[in-house]
Amino acid sequence: MSDQPNQTTYWKSLNELAQNEEYKKFAEREFPENATELTDQVSRRSFLRVMGASIALAGFASCRKPIQKILPYSRQPEDLVLGEPLFYATSMPFQDTITGLLITNNEGRPSKIEGNPDHPSSGGRTNIYHQACILDLYDPDRSRSPRRNGENVSGEDFASFAAEHFSNTERSILFIDEATSSPTYHRIKQQILERFPNSQWVTYEPFSENNALEGTQLAFGSRLRTVNHFDRADVVLALDDDFMNPQAGKNSVEYSLKLTSKRKVESTSDDMSRIYSVENAFTNTGSYADHRLRLKSSQIAPFTFALAARLAQSVNGLDAFSSVNNEFSNHDWIDNLSSELLNSQGNSIITVGAEYAPETHAAVAAINLALGNSGNTVTYHELPYRENRDENQAFLNAVDQLKAGVFDTVVMVGGNPAYNTPADLDFTAALGNVETTIHLSDYFDETSRLSTWHVNSAHFLEAWGDGLSFTGQRSVIQPQILPLFGGISNIEFLQILLSGETTTGYDLVQETWAGVISGDFNRGWEEILHDGIDTTSGFSSAEVSLSGDFSSFIQPALTSRSIEGIEIAIKPDVRLFDGRFANNGWLQELPEPMTKITWDNVALMSAATARRIGINPERSFSSNKVPVVRINAGGRSLEIAAWIEPGHADDSITLTVGYGRQNLGRVADGIGVDTYPLRTSGQMFYQQASVEAAGTTYEIACVQDHHSLEGRDMIRTTTLAGYKEKPDFATFESFHGFNVPGMKEARAAGDERGPVSLFNEQYGPEHQPQWGMTIDLNACFGCGVCTIACQAENNIPVIGKREVGRRRVMHWIRTDRYYEGDPDNPTVYHQPVPCMHCELAPCEQVCPVAATTHSEDGINQMTYNRCIGTRYCANNCPFKVRRFNFFNYSQEYLTTGDDPEIIQMAMNPQVTVRFRGVIEKCTYCVQRVNKAKIKTKIATGSKKPGDGTVQTACQQACPANAISFGDLTDANSIVSVNKRNDRNYVMLEEMNVRPRTSYLARLTNKNPELS
Amino acid sequence: MSKTYEYVPEPALVKGNHSFKDITAMVTDINLRPTPMGWYIAFGVSNILLLVLLVSIAWLFWEGTGIWGLNQPVGWGWAIINFVWWVGIGHAGTLISAILFLFRQGWRTAINRFAEAMTIFAVMCAGIFPAIHVGRVWVVYWMFPIPNSMAMWPNFNSPLLWDVFAVSTYFTVSLLFWYVGLVPDLATIRDRIKSKVGQVIYGTFALGWRGSNRHWWNYEKSYMILAGLATPLVLSVHTIVSFDFAVSIIPGWHTTIFPPYFVAGAVFSGFAMVLTLMIVCRKIYGLEDIMTVDHIEKMNIIILVTGSMVGFAYAMEFFIAWYGGVEYEKAIFILRATGPYAWAYWIMVTCNVLSPQFFWFKKLRRHVAFTFMISIVVNIGMWFERFVITVTSLSTDFLPSSWGYYSPTFWDVATYVGTFGLFFTFFLLFLRFLPMVAVAELKGVMPQADPHNYNEEGEYVPPKVEIPQPYKKSV
Repeated sequence: MSDQPNQTTYWKSLNELAQNEEYKKFAEREFPENATELTDQVSRRSFLRVMGASIALAGFASCRKPIQKILPYSRQPEDLVLGEPLFYATSMPFQDTITGLLITNNEGRPSKIEGNPDHPSSGGRTNIYHQACILDLYDPDRSRSPRRNGENVSGEDFASFAAEHFSNTERSILFIDEATSSPTYHRIKQQILERFPNSQWVTYEPFSENNALEGTQLAFGSRLRTVNHFDRADVVLALDDDFMNPQAGKNSVEYSLKLTSKRKVESTSDDMSRIYSVENAFTNTGSYADHRLRLKSSQIAPFTFALAARLAQSVNGLDAFSSVNNEFSNHDWIDNLSSELLNSQGNSIITVGAEYAPETHAAVAAINLALGNSGNTVTYHELPYRENRDENQAFLNAVDQLKAGVFDTVVMVGGNPAYNTPADLDFTAALGNVETTIHLSDYFDETSRLSTWHVNSAHFLEAWGDGLSFTGQRSVIQPQILPLFGGISNIEFLQILLSGETTTGYDLVQETWAGVISGDFNRGWEEILHDGIDTTSGFSSAEVSLSGDFSSFIQPALTSRSIEGIEIAIKPDVRLFDGRFANNGWLQELPEPMTKITWDNVALMSAATARRIGINPERSFSSNKVPVVRINAGGRSLEIAAWIEPGHADDSITLTVGYGRQNLGRVADGIGVDTYPLRTSGQMFYQQASVEAAGTTYEIACVQDHHSLEGRDMIRTTTLAGYKEKPDFATFESFHGFNVPGMKEARAAGDERGPVSLFNEQYGPEHQPQWGMTIDLNACFGCGVCTIACQAENNIPVIGKREVGRRRVMHWIRTDRYYEGDPDNPTVYHQPVPCMHCELAPCEQVCPVAATTHSEDGINQMTYNRCIGTRYCANNCPFKVRRFNFFNYSQEYLTTGDDPEIIQMAMNPQVTVRFRGVIEKCTYCVQRVNKAKIKTKIATGSKKPGDGTVQTACQQACPANAISFGDLTDANSIVSVNKRNDRNYVMLEEMNVRPRTSYLARLTNKNPELS
Repeated sequence: MSKTYEYVPEPALVKGNHSFKDITAMVTDINLRPTPMGWYIAFGVSNILLLVLLVSIAWLFWEGTGIWGLNQPVGWGWAIINFVWWVGIGHAGTLISAILFLFRQGWRTAINRFAEAMTIFAVMCAGIFPAIHVGRVWVVYWMFPIPNSMAMWPNFNSPLLWDVFAVSTYFTVSLLFWYVGLVPDLATIRDRIKSKVGQVIYGTFALGWRGSNRHWWNYEKSYMILAGLATPLVLSVHTIVSFDFAVSIIPGWHTTIFPPYFVAGAVFSGFAMVLTLMIVCRKIYGLEDIMTVDHIEKMNIIILVTGSMVGFAYAMEFFIAWYGGVEYEKAIFILRATGPYAWAYWIMVTCNVLSPQFFWFKKLRRHVAFTFMISIVVNIGMWFERFVITVTSLSTDFLPSSWGYYSPTFWDVATYVGTFGLFFTFFLLFLRFLPMVAVAELKGVMPQADPHNYNEEGEYVPPKVEIPQPYKKSV
């Protein structure tokens, strides 16, 4: 863009076109704080220019420099109204899957991500990575240019180097890439492998599906992807598999939607599936389960084998396990699980965490097959793009060859192997053996620093691409904006290596798809772009049968024993995954769903383990300091803060990766501890460790300091059987044994809304809709995506660890997490808490300047301009949902670095950015509400939008479909129906604040034998 | 006629059988003498503290409310605690001058000037906090009902708005009351001061007082009216301050006991503060004959009474929490006594309930050093009372998930300490330039002002007639 800074060919008015002095002054006055913006590289105005290009000439829009003609809006693109966002379908690649998304695009600037309702991988829903990746796009710390030995160079320099270097086809090149399912990528990959016969291609992912595929290889003789159909299962057994969360399940959104759909209870005639979870650390899936058993990670395999052995007594196909006799053979759970699974043969699912050994996966596959689940609740699919080999082993072999000096060039397409490969590999040293190393990545990261060439990659929202979803649906990835920092996509990168020439991603993708689309190409292509999915595609499911050698493969593993003493288990982080999201402030500040910790990783352990190590398991309410432990494993050691997690397995410590970064970016640097050094190629998951108290303390910013409900009624719950017996269990009266004072009299007078009152408590006028919300605690599993969706929608600032540690977190919707019952193995409840929009709001009465008032449609609204910041409303809010701008957080957040315009582009133009000293809180996404009301009024004359027209950001993102929102005056709206549900209750009913947000009580489907 | 009663003479309110002239000299000479070195030292220290206040406020305005330790459940911290504490202290002055005046308590004259001055400066310190604690100080004037083109109007439902009116009214009336009482004494200084500038200044503020009968008549009437006006304010201002809490719905705040409990606490702390200052000043300025041990004892009795009232209120809070049967109310009181802030609660109980009980003993009531110590303990206790009320209720309210601990930062402490700088700067200026005892009124309660022509036996004694000497300027 810098090539033509003054060439304003897109113009809004004749004045602008004329570029007269008055106009220039006016334009500079428009944003007084960024008075220089007209001359900056990427400003809002130049965005408009760019957008002109991307809409009018979408075909050229993927190039990394705006060399195409830029056309003015002299003929305005169809449907475009300035100020009205447009929505484009695209997909987010994550490892070798993609998820269909819809991007909100404001004047050429993507600002919000939603799921694509037409795409089965999202069903219109999202997970935290999808919501947060928009911030990655605008991350000013992303690498901005290619570098040679650390020096900035231009893209042309790299292209000419590549053309020269790769002209020698005899070179022995090692390609290391990340998992991807892109057909275009694999097409170019094949061409490269053909062109360079001495090259090798390996894929490395620190947390991959590899073991699962090896498991099916052992069981069925071929590497197949396991797809679970939770909507068909009555019984689910999750063996340390947090498949509802994105770090453990590539298909978390679809899985969560399907699992929770089996647990929607609208009346006493409905049933629920039953979920069992066996795991070491508390996961969201475990907290959602009806029964949870805590076992060390090293005990999962023996447990699985014992279960298989027990089932072998009743079903065929598990004879290989009949010899198993271990510590779990007579366990209560084995008895109950086996009878439960036998009772629902063909309707159950057993699933095991991806990191477990292939033998465990094989055992699970064998059990699913023996129970008749295969083909019904569990299907297996061949991955067309994947090589039929153990990828991890292939990678290890390749690194050995690298050390031996076999290769003269290493090309790393994405990934960060210098950071996340097993410590014993010493990948750093291996890389030093090679003359030329090339690394394509978003950030100038650990690997880039070691490489001779670093090439900055484009974000998926900036470049054309394609991919396959978890179940094989093909989609095209459409860019939403030109590359902000001139990066290139992985396919463009490979094409440069292949041909020495720069080809646009658009052409590359079209070339691939030309062979796929039948009929008129342009029409088919446009349909796919529009829908975001090729609906004709999908993996076909494979028929499986137990491999003949299964018994001999599995035998050596059957005698495996759990680790004596303390084990450590290293897992991907819920928020940062393998570390790739480390520079994302939204994710760093998102409270970890179970521990509610922000901005850090910790060593999770049980209280008993803490006592054994010699640290105090009690956490101080008045201090953020927690003890630090030193963990020694395999000759390596590190110090990390210890965190007591009720429900964690004893003698087991869970660590997560992704932290402890240096020189990556302003957000990631210095946060947490890098735990990869404890991970070795032999022990990628769990291993024996010795742990001792380090004697020091460390401050942790946790957003929830008290974890017990204190017997209070915020969470109301019973078993499914209990509900059928007593459908009104969730009412105040049932919970407390007495009614809210004045309620009886009010009911006698025909007023159901609240206790009898001296005042005529007028609700809004007839012609207005009355908004309300329900949150189904039976669906919510506490993932936290609502928090990030809200943050993205409502321009909520990131405030950093110090401020979070002072308990000033700004999130408008938080998820409270309570423990109940046995402190060693408690039940966990999640409860999302946005503003309740009380009908008789206590905050409104105490504001001295009337800055918070009630709207006619029942929204408790906040007038930022009127607020003087007495914080009285926050004090008087019984739910403590009001947030105060103690500092000028937005300014700090939005003016970081040299070019703050970048991060400012992530803001939603429909929502005010709040200044220091004002209160803010959930608005029920009033910008969406009012937009819908205006549109409805124009179209129909009524101010009441139809049900489903308005979705709040949290509701739209929720992968459990837990939140419903709508008009309470419409008796048929989903929210009205939910409010009539027996399970509906409001918090603090006796306060008579009459919240508009209510909860549907949680049910558990307990096995009477186990409880 | 046999004698059926014993004559018990009332102890003289001014000891030492001073003449009127002596009293005038004793009090006003303090203002007319050259400034002592000690005053300069004290004033210097106060000024440094005042500077601390100004720097703290400047930094607050520059950076934002975040420099304080406030957080999400605890939106009000030291600022509001200090506000309530200073307002409470400000209660003694008007109580002494107005209510005791209406009840014809002659002993008040020795201390009323002093206490009123303290009131005004304490209310000034208090008034700072509500103004600076808001997030956007530059629009704090929106609290006032000022007609404007933006069609904005304050919310009269909000206790904070009532506060604005209550405190500003109280301050205005107190200031007027104080000034009216000062007029005759300002005239005395005007007459006695030698410097020309002083004569002009004191003369201006003396409003042409010449001591004529008509002047006295007007003075007495206006003083009476102002006392009548100020009396309900003594009760109303802390009642309304207590509404900030009582009108909310937070457990531990939402209680009807707050208005009387706050007023009792305010009188309690106000008297303690008067005692603290008085005991030092009477010693330094040699006013032991005017502010006598009898005064100290009387005030100690009030401290004992109000302290016990406060103690009773603490007990009643617990009783009502139990008797009312509200779950959250019960929990908050148990948490106050046993929870994370139990240390603050027990400091409060020790200082406010236990320490005044020593005053059941006459010896201790009349023991100056002991009284001084208790007066300080009481003010520490009253500060903690406000801390316990403000912080504990917010810190552990309805939803256990939002519970959180609050601790102050350096700037919280600096701002509080700084207000002492403001207070003592003004107080020292008062001591230096204004008569700290209401001379004219004091003379009215001296035995000399009440000559009787009958002695104790009821026999006629002819009055001694003294011809007043013309006033000599050279004296």
